[in-house]
Amino acid sequence: MAEPQAPQNPQNAQGAVSGLAKKWAWPEKPALLGTPVKRLDGPDKVTGRAKYTFDINRPGMIYGKMVRSPYPHARIVSIDLSDAQKLPGVKAALALKETGAELMYQGDPIAGVAADTEERARDAARLVKVQYEVLTQVALMDRAMAPDAPQVFKGGNTRAGQSQENGDLDAGFKQASHVIEQTYSTHVITHVCMETHGSVCEWDGNKLTVWSSTQGVFAIAQQMAQGLGIPQTDIRVITQYMGGGFGSKTQVGSEGIMCAKLAKAAGVPVKLMLDRKEEHLDTGNRPSATAHVKAGVSADGRLTSFDGESWGTGGAGAGANFPLPYIYDFPNRRRTHKDVYTNTGQQRPMRAPGHPQGSFLTEILMDELADSVNLDPVQFRIKNSPPLAPNAMWRSYFDEAAKLFGWDKRHPTGDRTAGPIKTGFGCAANQWGGGGRGGSARCEITPDGAVAIKAGTQDIGTGTRTIVAMVTAETLGLPVSAVTPMIGDTMYPACGASGGSTTAASVMPPIRLAAGQALDALCGRVAPALAVDASTLVASNGRIHVRDNPSKGMAWKDACRLLGTEMIATDAPWQNGLSSTGTSGVQFAEVSVDVETGIVKVKRVLVMQDCGLLVDKLTAESQCYGGVIGSLNFALYEDRILDRNTGQMVNPNMEWYLLAGMSDIPQIEVHIKQQPERGVIGIGEPPTVSTAAAIACAVRNATGATIRRLPLTPQTVLEALNAAQKAGGAQ
Amino acid sequence: MKPKDDNSKNAETFNVSRRDFLKSASVGGLVTAVTSAAEIEAQTPGPRVIGPGEVPVQLNVNGKRIDLRIEPRVTLLDALRMRADLTGNKRGCDRGVCGACTMIVDGRTVYSCSTLAIEVQGKKIRTVDGLADGGKLHSVQQAFCDADATMCGFCTPGFVMATVGFLERYPNATQEQLRKGLDGNICRCGTFNRVFEAAMKAKGVSRG
Repeated sequence: MAEPQAPQNPQNAQGAVSGLAKKWAWPEKPALLGTPVKRLDGPDKVTGRAKYTFDINRPGMIYGKMVRSPYPHARIVSIDLSDAQKLPGVKAALALKETGAELMYQGDPIAGVAADTEERARDAARLVKVQYEVLTQVALMDRAMAPDAPQVFKGGNTRAGQSQENGDLDAGFKQASHVIEQTYSTHVITHVCMETHGSVCEWDGNKLTVWSSTQGVFAIAQQMAQGLGIPQTDIRVITQYMGGGFGSKTQVGSEGIMCAKLAKAAGVPVKLMLDRKEEHLDTGNRPSATAHVKAGVSADGRLTSFDGESWGTGGAGAGANFPLPYIYDFPNRRRTHKDVYTNTGQQRPMRAPGHPQGSFLTEILMDELADSVNLDPVQFRIKNSPPLAPNAMWRSYFDEAAKLFGWDKRHPTGDRTAGPIKTGFGCAANQWGGGGRGGSARCEITPDGAVAIKAGTQDIGTGTRTIVAMVTAETLGLPVSAVTPMIGDTMYPACGASGGSTTAASVMPPIRLAAGQALDALCGRVAPALAVDASTLVASNGRIHVRDNPSKGMAWKDACRLLGTEMIATDAPWQNGLSSTGTSGVQFAEVSVDVETGIVKVKRVLVMQDCGLLVDKLTAESQCYGGVIGSLNFALYEDRILDRNTGQMVNPNMEWYLLAGMSDIPQIEVHIKQQPERGVIGIGEPPTVSTAAAIACAVRNATGATIRRLPLTPQTVLEALNAAQKAGGAQ
Repeated sequence: MKPKDDNSKNAETFNVSRRDFLKSASVGGLVTAVTSAAEIEAQTPGPRVIGPGEVPVQLNVNGKRIDLRIEPRVTLLDALRMRADLTGNKRGCDRGVCGACTMIVDGRTVYSCSTLAIEVQGKKIRTVDGLADGGKLHSVQQAFCDADATMCGFCTPGFVMATVGFLERYPNATQEQLRKGLDGNICRCGTFNRVFEAAMKAKGVSRG
């Protein structure tokens, strides 16, 4: 999973391109790539036939359950497993921590049990007697940062990062006609994967098979090997289907290791899936972000200077950095950041880690600066965006998207129409690295004409299985249905974890090359039969034929029959030349705000996004829909709320941890910009970066009140309106 | 109380979404609901005590009889998923909110994670596993595939069943009613727009 990134080099600088990669460059006139191809596993998903880890039922399988700290900070005085072990049906009970161990967050794992039914496993977990010495906690960030705070973490509750400085701050502020100094902040949210984290572990002697709900089968194998002290070659990890990860499922977690240990101890397969509360507490979150910013703009609307001090919490001992300022060109800038450690579960990367925070903090400031010099927010952004480049298309996209959105109908800040319902427009930009390298694939063609493509990647819901088949089919001139994609298993050639929008760019090149080489091998058999040179042969429309002479050739099946009893199997690693890094996009939002209730409704969102060479139009668009809705949830609804006194999470569920339902969903219009010459890049993260900021800017445009923190709950909106009214700013 | 039921029951008149309800629900309102449930309980003869050990339970699922021995506390969802290997419907929140567990019981959609298996004996239970007619997808399933209304797919079985249940009861529902009718399900990947598109298309198909 990619960490927050600096702006990418505008050109694709991945090194030399091999002859093979040149030969199998992406086709100029593809038959399949860029078209809408329906998800191959759609029928399995809509019928319930798709088997997720949670659905794996093995013969003799029992159920595991973790025991966790109810306190944000405590010491274990004693652990007594005996009552749990005596309960009928209990097959194993193992302590994970020892007496005297310090527990650093609510949900910190302590022990695990396994019983013949899940209900009895829960009973047994309750029977594990743990005595705690409750310690002073600093679960809330402001408490951890207070001057008189107890220093809970070794080396202190805060960790200062490097200060970055470019240009001449003072000179910049001298050029400014207007300076804005404000504090902006975003909150902590959790991933809320619909399928919770967990696995099914089954031992056969010293060999372990793990069905894991993961974004990285090879990552899990490696971490399991480490955690259990066994060779990675003895571990097979399978993930045919997984119910959402969003960055939180590249780690095996204490529950994964515990599952394997319980299975070993009990001598039967164990399924250990977390419950919803554990999922909120101990499987990661998006860190908070706060920045105190002083920024200047010149009378002609040029950004001059940015001085920002930021902090955020990623939980117990974890970082919380994010890009700031986001995208726009401040010629003179300084930024200092510190991580605040709190007694809460550790962060994990969450869809475009760092970017939604940096985007919100920066874009609200941009609208305030634009107003200060009476410039239209879109024109202001265009003026202050980096120069156009393949991975920096904002100037062009802002202009084009504004027209499509009807931005000319935007009113100045503060809707003056009568009545309580105010409407407003907002916009925001995004960028992401994407790209990726290091995957590998194997293509097999059998004499009956069947084609299998094998790659140890996994489909986390993005449609990987489908594009794996599409690229193979495109290369072999076959329909998608003629290819069997085989993924989600460490028995296949190694691929990286699916995170940071890297999957498409790291897996499509080896698939293209493996399939290309397989076709070369097949053409080597066909050429003598046609009495032509193999180099003249191409594959299209289910035939192998002479280039520019489709009638001189043979059907795919006839060609494969020439293999006799052999099969073709070609392996290929990732190579330069078929993928790039660096995407850019913009989004526009229209909202309505009821100024009497503070309720914000998002009416429509326009997405303009590039991702290099588009593979499947349908699933790429779905990524944009999903990104927008994820970001809408971040802006308006979801929030990890901690009790100020106990430091415990008060909404570790799905009824009070709010997420949008069907009635909350806006109309979403997606425009994917094609850059086929750049090769495959990836589109998972960028669409989820900028919606929250665009919504917040639209709320500001609607109400005239500037809200500098998320989420935009009715209470927050009403408070801002009251404050603005007192200051005489809003009507 | 089955929130899902209440949701569907009022489908033609309701104009309060799940979220609006959560936002506006006051303590007073909840107390009222509890009181009326207690009153209904008081009017019926005292409940027969069964359990806590395993008891025989007979379920009619997708037209087939399933005999189980389970503790009375076992939910319909867990009974089918863990004892009958009917794993199509999923468990997301386990508290009757996310809708991944949505099944149709005697024609009404229910959250099967919040329904005890012993409660639905003698009723016709439909799960996503039995929806397709052999190899032929139900029109709602086909519409979901065509519109790319799935991403990770974990919420999909619940959405499919909620759509089927709603359209069977309200074949002439308006767009707005359909939207409200699907408010009892949550998708984290963000398939909503395409689920709605699929549901609208399926509505057209089923009306012929």
